[in-house]
Amino acid sequence: MLELLVILVCAGILASGVLAVCLSNLLAAMISAGLASLFAAVSYVLLAAPDVAMAEAAIGSGLATLIFLYTIRRTGGGREL
Amino acid sequence: MADIILHIAGGLIFLSITCGVVRLVIGRTVVDRVVAIDMLTVISISLIALYAHISGRFVYIDVALVYGLLSFLAVLAIARFLERRS
Repeated sequence: MLELLVILVCAGILASGVLAVCLSNLLAAMISAGLASLFAAVSYVLLAAPDVAMAEAAIGSGLATLIFLYTIRRTGGGREL
Repeated sequence: MADIILHIAGGLIFLSITCGVVRLVIGRTVVDRVVAIDMLTVISISLIALYAHISGRFVYIDVALVYGLLSFLAVLAIARFLERRS
Protein backbone atom coordinates (compact mmCIF):
# COMPACT_ATOMS: atom_id res chain seq x y z
CA MET A 1 0.00 0.00 0.00
CA LEU A 2 2.80 2.39 0.91
CA GLU A 3 4.59 1.73 -2.39
CA LEU A 4 1.40 2.62 -4.23
CA LEU A 5 1.17 5.91 -2.31
CA VAL A 6 4.83 6.72 -3.11
CA ILE A 7 4.17 6.07 -6.80
CA LEU A 8 1.06 8.27 -6.67
CA VAL A 9 2.95 11.11 -4.98
CA CYS A 10 5.74 10.89 -7.57
CA ALA A 11 3.12 10.97 -10.36
CA GLY A 12 1.70 14.07 -8.68
CA ILE A 13 5.14 15.74 -8.75
CA LEU A 14 5.42 14.92 -12.45
CA ALA A 15 1.91 16.14 -13.34
CA SER A 16 2.20 19.41 -11.45
CA GLY A 17 5.68 20.08 -12.89
CA VAL A 18 4.43 19.61 -16.45
CA LEU A 19 1.42 21.78 -15.61
CA ALA A 20 3.67 24.54 -14.21
CA VAL A 21 5.60 24.63 -17.48
CA CYS A 22 2.58 24.40 -19.79
CA LEU A 23 0.10 26.81 -18.20
CA SER A 24 -0.07 30.30 -19.68
CA ASN A 25 -1.66 31.97 -16.66
CA LEU A 26 1.18 33.04 -14.36
CA LEU A 27 -0.77 32.64 -11.13
CA ALA A 28 -1.93 29.12 -12.00
CA ALA A 29 1.61 28.14 -12.98
CA MET A 30 2.90 29.45 -9.64
CA ILE A 31 0.26 27.42 -7.78
CA SER A 32 1.29 24.30 -9.72
CA ALA A 33 4.94 24.87 -8.83
CA GLY A 34 3.93 25.14 -5.17
CA LEU A 35 2.07 21.86 -5.50
CA ALA A 36 5.18 20.19 -6.94
CA SER A 37 7.19 21.18 -3.87
CA LEU A 38 4.29 20.06 -1.62
CA PHE A 39 4.38 16.56 -3.11
CA ALA A 40 8.19 16.59 -2.95
CA ALA A 41 7.99 17.26 0.79
CA VAL A 42 5.55 14.37 1.23
CA SER A 43 7.83 12.05 -0.72
CA TYR A 44 10.79 13.11 1.47
CA VAL A 45 8.78 12.11 4.53
CA LEU A 46 7.91 8.77 2.94
CA LEU A 47 11.62 8.25 2.18
CA ALA A 48 12.45 8.77 5.89
CA ALA A 49 14.03 12.26 5.76
CA PRO A 50 11.83 14.47 7.97
CA ASP A 51 14.29 17.36 8.34
CA VAL A 52 14.70 17.70 4.57
CA ALA A 53 10.92 17.61 4.27
CA MET A 54 10.59 20.39 6.83
CA ALA A 55 13.08 22.57 4.91
CA GLU A 56 11.31 21.83 1.64
CA ALA A 57 7.93 22.73 3.13
CA ALA A 58 9.27 25.98 4.60
CA ILE A 59 11.24 27.16 1.57
CA GLY A 60 9.65 25.52 -1.47
CA SER A 61 6.01 25.70 -0.55
CA GLY A 62 5.95 28.72 1.75
CA LEU A 63 8.69 31.19 0.93
CA ALA A 64 8.98 30.60 -2.83
CA THR A 65 5.22 30.95 -3.33
CA LEU A 66 5.16 34.24 -1.41
CA ILE A 67 8.16 35.60 -3.33
CA PHE A 68 6.61 34.60 -6.67
CA LEU A 69 3.36 36.27 -5.63
CA TYR A 70 5.18 39.49 -4.69
CA THR A 71 7.06 39.44 -7.99
CA ILE A 72 3.90 38.90 -10.05
CA ARG A 73 2.22 41.77 -8.24
CA ARG A 74 5.16 44.12 -8.78
CA THR A 75 5.79 43.30 -12.44
CA GLY A 76 2.78 42.16 -14.46
CA GLY A 77 -0.10 42.18 -12.04
CA GLY A 78 -0.80 38.52 -12.91
CA ARG A 79 -1.54 39.26 -16.54
CA GLU A 80 -0.18 37.04 -19.27
CA LEU A 81 3.19 38.34 -20.40
CA MET B 1 -9.39 -4.24 13.35
CA ALA B 2 -7.01 -1.28 13.50
CA ASP B 3 -5.17 -2.68 10.51
CA ILE B 4 -8.36 -2.68 8.44
CA ILE B 5 -9.04 0.93 9.43
CA LEU B 6 -5.52 1.97 8.41
CA HIS B 7 -5.95 0.25 5.05
CA ILE B 8 -9.28 2.02 4.50
CA ALA B 9 -7.63 5.36 5.38
CA GLY B 10 -4.84 4.66 2.88
CA GLY B 11 -7.38 3.87 0.18
CA LEU B 12 -9.35 7.04 0.88
CA ILE B 13 -6.16 9.15 0.76
CA PHE B 14 -5.25 7.51 -2.55
CA LEU B 15 -8.69 8.30 -3.99
CA SER B 16 -8.72 11.89 -2.79
CA ILE B 17 -5.21 12.65 -4.10
CA THR B 18 -6.35 11.37 -7.50
CA CYS B 19 -9.49 13.52 -7.43
CA GLY B 20 -7.52 16.60 -6.33
CA VAL B 21 -4.92 16.24 -9.08
CA VAL B 22 -7.68 15.76 -11.69
CA ARG B 23 -9.37 18.94 -10.44
CA LEU B 24 -6.04 20.79 -10.60
CA VAL B 25 -5.39 19.66 -14.18
CA ILE B 26 -8.92 20.41 -15.42
CA GLY B 27 -9.49 23.55 -13.31
CA ARG B 28 -11.04 26.28 -15.42
CA THR B 29 -10.32 29.26 -13.19
CA VAL B 30 -7.51 30.12 -10.80
CA VAL B 31 -9.86 29.86 -7.83
CA ASP B 32 -10.57 26.20 -8.66
CA ARG B 33 -6.85 25.50 -8.58
CA VAL B 34 -6.37 27.36 -5.29
CA VAL B 35 -9.11 25.30 -3.67
CA ALA B 36 -7.61 22.13 -5.17
CA ILE B 37 -4.16 22.89 -3.75
CA ASP B 38 -5.67 23.68 -0.35
CA MET B 39 -7.47 20.33 -0.37
CA LEU B 40 -4.29 18.51 -1.44
CA THR B 41 -2.41 20.15 1.43
CA VAL B 42 -4.89 18.81 3.96
CA ILE B 43 -4.69 15.37 2.35
CA SER B 44 -0.87 15.49 2.49
CA ILE B 45 -0.98 16.37 6.19
CA SER B 46 -3.23 13.40 6.84
CA LEU B 47 -0.93 11.19 4.76
CA ILE B 48 2.08 12.28 6.83
CA ALA B 49 0.17 11.63 10.07
CA LEU B 50 -0.91 8.19 8.83
CA TYR B 51 2.67 7.33 7.91
CA ALA B 52 3.87 8.54 11.32
CA HIS B 53 1.43 6.12 12.93
CA ILE B 54 2.35 3.22 10.64
CA SER B 55 6.12 3.61 10.96
CA GLY B 56 5.97 4.46 14.68
CA ARG B 57 8.26 7.51 14.37
CA PHE B 58 6.51 10.48 15.87
CA VAL B 59 9.10 12.97 14.57
CA TYR B 60 7.02 13.08 11.40
CA ILE B 61 4.16 14.78 13.23
CA ASP B 62 6.36 17.91 13.50
CA VAL B 63 6.66 17.99 9.72
CA ALA B 64 2.87 17.89 9.43
CA LEU B 65 2.60 20.73 11.94
CA VAL B 66 5.08 23.00 10.11
CA TYR B 67 3.39 22.09 6.87
CA GLY B 68 -0.06 23.08 8.04
CA LEU B 69 1.12 26.46 9.31
CA LEU B 70 3.03 27.35 6.13
CA SER B 71 0.40 26.19 3.65
CA PHE B 72 -2.20 28.22 5.53
CA LEU B 73 -0.03 31.33 5.10
CA ALA B 74 0.52 30.64 1.39
CA VAL B 75 -3.18 30.14 0.64
CA LEU B 76 -4.02 33.27 2.65
CA ALA B 77 -1.54 35.33 0.62
CA ILE B 78 -2.93 34.00 -2.68
CA ALA B 79 -6.50 34.76 -1.58
CA ARG B 80 -5.54 38.31 -0.60
CA PHE B 81 -3.85 38.78 -3.96
CA LEU B 82 -6.96 37.55 -5.81
CA GLU B 83 -9.21 39.83 -3.77
CA ARG B 84 -7.07 42.87 -4.48
CA ARG B 85 -6.93 42.11 -8.19
CA SER B 86 -10.66 41.69 -8.76
